[in-house]
Amino acid sequence: MAAERRGDVAILSTDGYINNQGGEEIARQAYAQLETGARALVLNLEKTRIVNSIGISILIEVLEKVMDRKGQLAFCGLTPTIDKTFRIMGLAQYAAIYPTEAEAVQGVASA
Amino acid sequence: MTDAPPAASPRLSVLWKTLEEPLQGTDAPLPTRLARAAVSWTGARRGALYIRDKENWVCAGLAGADAESLEPPESSGAAAIAPREGISWVPLAAEGEIHGRLVLEGLSSEDAAELVPFLSVVLGGLLGAHRYSRQVKEADFEVRTRLVELESLYDFGLSLVGQLDLASLADEVLFRSISLTDAGKGTLVLFHEDGRLMLERSLGGQLLEAQEFASWRLPEGEAVINNAAASVPTAGARLTSCAKCLAVPISVSGRRLGVLAVADKESRVGGVLDFTPADARLLSLFANQAAAAIETARLHRAAIEQERIERELELAAAIQREILPRSLPEIAGVELAAESLPTRQVGGDYYDLFPLSRGRLGFLVADVSGKGIPAALLVSTVHAAVHLQIDEAKTITELFTRIDRHLRRYAATRKFLTLFFGLFEPDSGRLAYVSAGHNPALLVRRSGLVEALGSTGVPLGMFPGASWKEETTTLAPEDLLCVYTDGLTEAVNAQEEEFGLERLSAALGGGREKPVRELCDRVLADVAAFAREMPQYDDQTILLLRRT
Repeated sequence: MAAERRGDVAILSTDGYINNQGGEEIARQAYAQLETGARALVLNLEKTRIVNSIGISILIEVLEKVMDRKGQLAFCGLTPTIDKTFRIMGLAQYAAIYPTEAEAVQGVASA
Repeated sequence: MTDAPPAASPRLSVLWKTLEEPLQGTDAPLPTRLARAAVSWTGARRGALYIRDKENWVCAGLAGADAESLEPPESSGAAAIAPREGISWVPLAAEGEIHGRLVLEGLSSEDAAELVPFLSVVLGGLLGAHRYSRQVKEADFEVRTRLVELESLYDFGLSLVGQLDLASLADEVLFRSISLTDAGKGTLVLFHEDGRLMLERSLGGQLLEAQEFASWRLPEGEAVINNAAASVPTAGARLTSCAKCLAVPISVSGRRLGVLAVADKESRVGGVLDFTPADARLLSLFANQAAAAIETARLHRAAIEQERIERELELAAAIQREILPRSLPEIAGVELAAESLPTRQVGGDYYDLFPLSRGRLGFLVADVSGKGIPAALLVSTVHAAVHLQIDEAKTITELFTRIDRHLRRYAATRKFLTLFFGLFEPDSGRLAYVSAGHNPALLVRRSGLVEALGSTGVPLGMFPGASWKEETTTLAPEDLLCVYTDGLTEAVNAQEEEFGLERLSAALGGGREKPVRELCDRVLADVAAFAREMPQYDDQTILLLRRT
């Protein structure tokens, strides 16, 4: 997984299966970014084709943590299946979903 | 931070100021914050908050140095409030249910008597609300997860419509199956009808060698759960790379198309969970949908292949139509008619005529072994050989030897053919012929007498070094020669009777005074009438020659 910082926006690009292990890695990197001053997180799932319910529960925990800090979380690069899954699971209620990383970064920066 | 409510009394004001930060903070889970607030407000040295997990009390929050060393509460709730050796047990209750227990150390008897009931109600209410909130969240998560499953099955069904790429289809099935069962890994394999491996897809590592899947004895139409896969074989196969597995066959009408297997169901707290009957039902649903889609894709590919073959056959038929003479030569003293009816688009029969010097006529009828494209290719080779060699050979037997050699050199497959070749001199009526294993040609004399011109050697291409004998006979005016292939005499009717040589002789004899073109059509019509609707499996060719 790759991490990039643009001002107070952190971009985490996932790679592979978001399950317990993959989700924990996302959480670890996300919390590290929050601890070092990131206000907004963009999760780019372009290279991820599969997510399970454990991975989603970890993403919800990350979202709650970001919301506790009055921050922003956005997703981009979702496959249609993952997009639909996130919407059903309620992630889209509190996190924005954008088609591209550029749109996501712009979205959280202007929020 | 919200504004503090107006203090009803100095003590409440102190309580609020003490509780505000621990309760509203987000730096630790609520049980920890409650333990800290209780210690801070009561002035206890340390405290530990336990919550119930099934039958056990589990420590969920600590406050103060070495708080983890505080002993857990007893299971009975009756003596909970009684202090013992400086230890106060505070039941945290709400709505008639004890949600947790707080163990505080260092309170005096008086403080404990005054503060514990208050803490019990306030912190019990907060902890109860927290627990209910978590339960609601978990229930909501569970409902949404089931909805994702249903939607996934629905979407998967839709995505299968028109999905003819087996690799994409396999990925879709595998990914959805692993995802929805929370498995850590999975494998999908598909087989050809003869059992050979067609395709293998894995995520997280292969569960078995692909060829081992082929012999895996999964019961037909049933999912197999093995939650001890590391030590117990799964339907006869030892899986070494997983702890628990769930496998289903992918079948259509009892025919095994492949296997779908997932393994090692994940847990949020680590470790591997057992697969459940609900997981098995879900995987079976995916396998059933996948089977239908895979079968559709397979049939589609078969249809494309069939279409390709038909196009090839049509092309071959067009080539063969070019090989057969478009028209018959006009030779003085000879009346000719010929017809060839292939049973497929392309056949293995061939006839040809060659006007030669001094008014002579060469003619042949051949029947190659096999049918379809291979037979048509051999016909093409024979056609080329005859046309190349006919001007070179001095005798008919030499022509046969040259054709035989040509076939051995150039024919792609070891096939053979029967061939009748005649060289007719209209002026004298002399007919020289060689028959390489061909059906006897029938010579119908003007009187109606029928003579058979039998084989004079073995079929071409059959034995190396073979030779053929040339025979001669003479046709008187109005005598009729019929050379044909066995598709004519071996045409069968519904009673499995063959048309036979006798019926052919009778048909020729009965119509021997008719023009040969008319007679040719009549013979073929007689054969068709005899066979009626019975499908015929061999080409039918007839060549008639009458000396006028």
